Amino acid sequence: MGYYEIMLIIRPDVEADGHQEVLEDLKAAITKEGGDVSTILDWRKRRLAYEINKHKEGHYYLVYFSGQGTIIPEIEHYFRVTDAVIRYMVVSVEEKDFNAAAEKAAEAASAAEAQAEKQEEAAAAEETAAVEEPEVEIVPEVDEEPEAEGQTEVTEVAEKVEGQAEVEAADEVQTDSKVDE
Amino acid sequence: MRRDRGRKPKKKICSYCVDKIESVDYKQYEKLKRFVTERGKVLPRRISGNCARHQRQLTRAIKKARIMALLPFTSE
Ligand SMILES: [Zn+2]
Repeated sequence: MGYYEIMLIIRPDVEADGHQEVLEDLKAAITKEGGDVSTILDWRKRRLAYEINKHKEGHYYLVYFSGQGTIIPEIEHYFRVTDAVIRYMVVSVEEKDFNAAAEKAAEAASAAEAQAEKQEEAAAAEETAAVEEPEVEIVPEVDEEPEAEGQTEVTEVAEKVEGQAEVEAADEVQTDSKVDE
Repeated sequence: MRRDRGRKPKKKICSYCVDKIESVDYKQYEKLKRFVTERGKVLPRRISGNCARHQRQLTRAIKKARIMALLPFTSE
């Protein structure tokens, strides 16, 4: 069993519902193969360093899961057939970094919860408010660029690069082209 | 920082070692930017001052960051 980190970019024109759908489907694909998604971090919308399929920005997510490496082809397949995802990369991470991501998410979640509770209390002053639990907990990352944390000893596993084959034939980087529709 | 001259350049210090960073993270791309030229090339070790181990990790991290459009590919 291994620990993995998926970084994925969702097309900027996809609405929040679409994000949820991608993440739910991805989670389902991983779970179906006996894997376990522990953490999803919302890395927010960012400007791309270069255009991908004419898009100048994209919404990044980090998904951490544990399981057999055989799940990876399943994930790749899922991404390949999912138009909303314009790029992804799967890397293996060390257990401590995997756990650190979960901790970070838990911290962010409790902060968000405290915030929600506050709001709930305020709302409850008027009437009872119910806070709906999202099926997949998406936690916004607290720090944009933490200096010394979250370092991962990474080994490439797979990634998809579409369009221009700009990636130099990097020894340890396996590239995989998506068939353009 | 002093300019190197002569055959024995002054030994530079690996900033990743100084910061006690065990492994270079491709997600910390703002930091990676310090080690690429304006054209997007990786700064050589003799300029960056990185130790061999961290330089190797850095090169890999930069490759990943480029794939994920966090850093540009080399222009020209
Ligand atoms: Zn070093």
